Amino acid sequence: MMGIGKRTLVILSLLAVLFAVLPALGLEGYRLRLLSLVFMWIALAGCWNLMSGYTGYIDFGPVTYFGAGAYATALFMIRLDLPFFVSLVLSGILCAFLAFLIGLATLRIRGAYFAIATFAAAEALKQIVLEGDRVVGFEFFGGSHGLTLPVPPPSEFFYYFLLAFTVLVIGISFYLERSKFGYGLRAIRGSEQGAELSGVPTLSLKIKAYILSSSLIGCIGGMEAYWLTYIIPEDVFNVLRTIQMVIMTLLGGMGTIWGPVIGATFLTLVGEFLGTKFVYDYLILLGIVIIIVILLLPRGIVNLVKSKRGGAQ
Amino acid sequence: MILFLQSLINGILLGGIYAACAAGFSLAFGVMGIVNLSHGDFVMLGAFVTYWLFVLLGWDPFLTLPITLAILFFLGFFLQKLMLNRLTGVPPIMSYLLTFGLHLVLSGLALRTWTADYRTLNTVYTGLNLIVFGLVLPYSRVATFLFAMVLILGLYFLLYRTEVGRAIRATAQDGEMARLMGVRIFRIYAFTFAVSVAITGLAGSLIAQTFVIYPQMGLPFTITAFCVVVLGGLGYVPGTLFGGLILGIFESLSTTYLTAGLSMALTFFLLLIMLLVRPGGIFGKGILE
Amino acid sequence: MKYLECRQVTKRFGALEALRQFSCAVEKGEILGVIGPNGSGKTTLFNVMVGIYSPEEGEIFFQGHSISKLPPHKICHRGIAKASQTIQSFLEITVLENLLIPAMYGKNLGAKKARAQAESILNFMGLQDVQDLPVSEISLAKRRRLEVGRVLATGAELLLLDEVMAGLNPHEVEEALRVLQRIRQDGKTIILVEHVMQAMMQFCERIIVLNHGEKIAEGRPEEVAQNPEVIQAYLGRPYA
Repeated sequence: MMGIGKRTLVILSLLAVLFAVLPALGLEGYRLRLLSLVFMWIALAGCWNLMSGYTGYIDFGPVTYFGAGAYATALFMIRLDLPFFVSLVLSGILCAFLAFLIGLATLRIRGAYFAIATFAAAEALKQIVLEGDRVVGFEFFGGSHGLTLPVPPPSEFFYYFLLAFTVLVIGISFYLERSKFGYGLRAIRGSEQGAELSGVPTLSLKIKAYILSSSLIGCIGGMEAYWLTYIIPEDVFNVLRTIQMVIMTLLGGMGTIWGPVIGATFLTLVGEFLGTKFVYDYLILLGIVIIIVILLLPRGIVNLVKSKRGGAQ
Repeated sequence: MILFLQSLINGILLGGIYAACAAGFSLAFGVMGIVNLSHGDFVMLGAFVTYWLFVLLGWDPFLTLPITLAILFFLGFFLQKLMLNRLTGVPPIMSYLLTFGLHLVLSGLALRTWTADYRTLNTVYTGLNLIVFGLVLPYSRVATFLFAMVLILGLYFLLYRTEVGRAIRATAQDGEMARLMGVRIFRIYAFTFAVSVAITGLAGSLIAQTFVIYPQMGLPFTITAFCVVVLGGLGYVPGTLFGGLILGIFESLSTTYLTAGLSMALTFFLLLIMLLVRPGGIFGKGILE
Repeated sequence: MKYLECRQVTKRFGALEALRQFSCAVEKGEILGVIGPNGSGKTTLFNVMVGIYSPEEGEIFFQGHSISKLPPHKICHRGIAKASQTIQSFLEITVLENLLIPAMYGKNLGAKKARAQAESILNFMGLQDVQDLPVSEISLAKRRRLEVGRVLATGAELLLLDEVMAGLNPHEVEEALRVLQRIRQDGKTIILVEHVMQAMMQFCERIIVLNHGEKIAEGRPEEVAQNPEVIQAYLGRPYA
């Protein structure tokens, strides 16, 4: 229970190596990008899970950081001519700072405040990016015209980036399952008062989890900006990203390591297969899925499997 | 000076509507602990009901208020029985997620049914104004402000002067105790949620006369309602009046002196400051735990 | 310097005064009982001591330092822990893990030592047979034991036990008292709130009686039992 199973570790390492080698073996074009997309959503859902799944404080605005990271990276590269990785790291730090502010304001009180404030943050930031130029009087954010970034490296770069990120996020989840920090977070979810009474510094841990989750999401946003080369507010602050992160984790199982992985893989592939992008029906469908999952399967697929197995014991 | 006063008046008129809009939110939260992320969508539905009744049947929007009230009351009752009743006793996480899903369904259905077009409700008296000391007061805005006050007073009356209201407040304070005293909790929950949705829809009807109507208008109003409630104190219904007025005035002044486009960003900024400095609202009576 | 001291502590909820000008002093190693009718402020008193509420007036001193304004986790680090009747266990994780958390955070131990501590408390409370079950699956009596175990695992020296024997049958009450005796022998200080009168009378050295948020009596169990005000508070005027 405390130590990670040797067998699991070996299997996972082999998988990571396998994925790393695929491009060299001929994976390219559409399939390469599809797999990259799957990795991205696993990483995003996994990051969202780090906060909302483990602490039980639902973040309804992760896209705030996706967009913030995208714009920050773009601006650092365009306005200051900084190289990609430097811009990315700076964006991550910026997101961490923003998360600290929002977290400090909202995590001292009940989860409802956090839920709605994060919901509002995304809209607010989108507005700032859209209208900011008009207020300050000069061209900075690019408004609704968006920003164009320097030419990116070929797709393999992003494939490896996302693979590395996925490994990182899954690794962090493993760490949370057995570390003091992770136990503290899960205690908060189980009973925040009980956690406090047991000596857990709940505010500090919540803020740390939120900063961790948000800055990583910000980095992925930054990468996406570089990959897309052209970003507009409507796209990188699109609430659909939040919705998808929520559903993927909810469906797969919140607060588990594999929940986001299963949920993200499933939903990304289904989305690709159906060819749906931003269609009204898709939104309605997602809403219905959320409602059904909450009412019938609140613990997600992973826990359904776990309890079946547990029952058989 | 005149500009300032005009801005102030606009803010007050706006604030009354905001307060009406947030009252239902505060009620649902105070009594059932439900944070309804689809709240704004009931504003939207109320607005659309009023709009279609006017456009298709020619019925004056003020006269159709009782109809909107009734329709949304039953919608709220139905939703509570169908879905939300299962949420009592369950961690609040579930209510956020469930109402979020509901938000997607409602706004998605609205988008699909009515398309994303912007619509406005124009009656014969829409453009007419009352001029007092050089200040412009549109008739419809004044009327909607007055109706909003009536709504809030009506809610106050319901909660503090009726038998049902007492049962609702008892349930809000201590559900178990209320049940032991014979209050039929689930009925109260259904009724309270229905009332919450109904008055929100009513606020939507009033909003339809002043604002542009479109399927996604709900989201900004959910955020507005939340803001009002944080200012006034979550769960403290009397506070929503003042919270609404403050927010209305703040938005109006910032629109006049800064820019219109940043209203949501400034509202959020105000919200953040409020939460950092005085999370219990101006009266300090908000439910924090 | 008293071990624990409350000075004129007042706690209000809106118009309701749950605790009014409450003062008391507790010696190290003492077993103190707090009794009173429902709603007299016992749980509020514990909640104020442990940091869940902050008193409107008055102060609480523990080992000479004021703790009234500290958050619960800091008070836990100082050595005060509370066991509730509404169980604060973490329902979805296992019994052992429930003890790991206070051991890691309350006592500030590293992973290995925390595990050793958790296991030793597990054995002490007789919960070995359910150690890997999630708390939602164990019996009430066991959950009560887990709750006391949680408090012990934090390494607290002053234990506040709030109706931990509620709902237990007489046999289970006997067991609980035995466990409390052993805890006491370890040198811990205990403040106990219970409705199981006979347990209180035989176990506590001193009893404080609360009514409507005020202390109405204090002294040895025999004295308190005969105090007319106490009898009146419990049984009403005619019996005084």
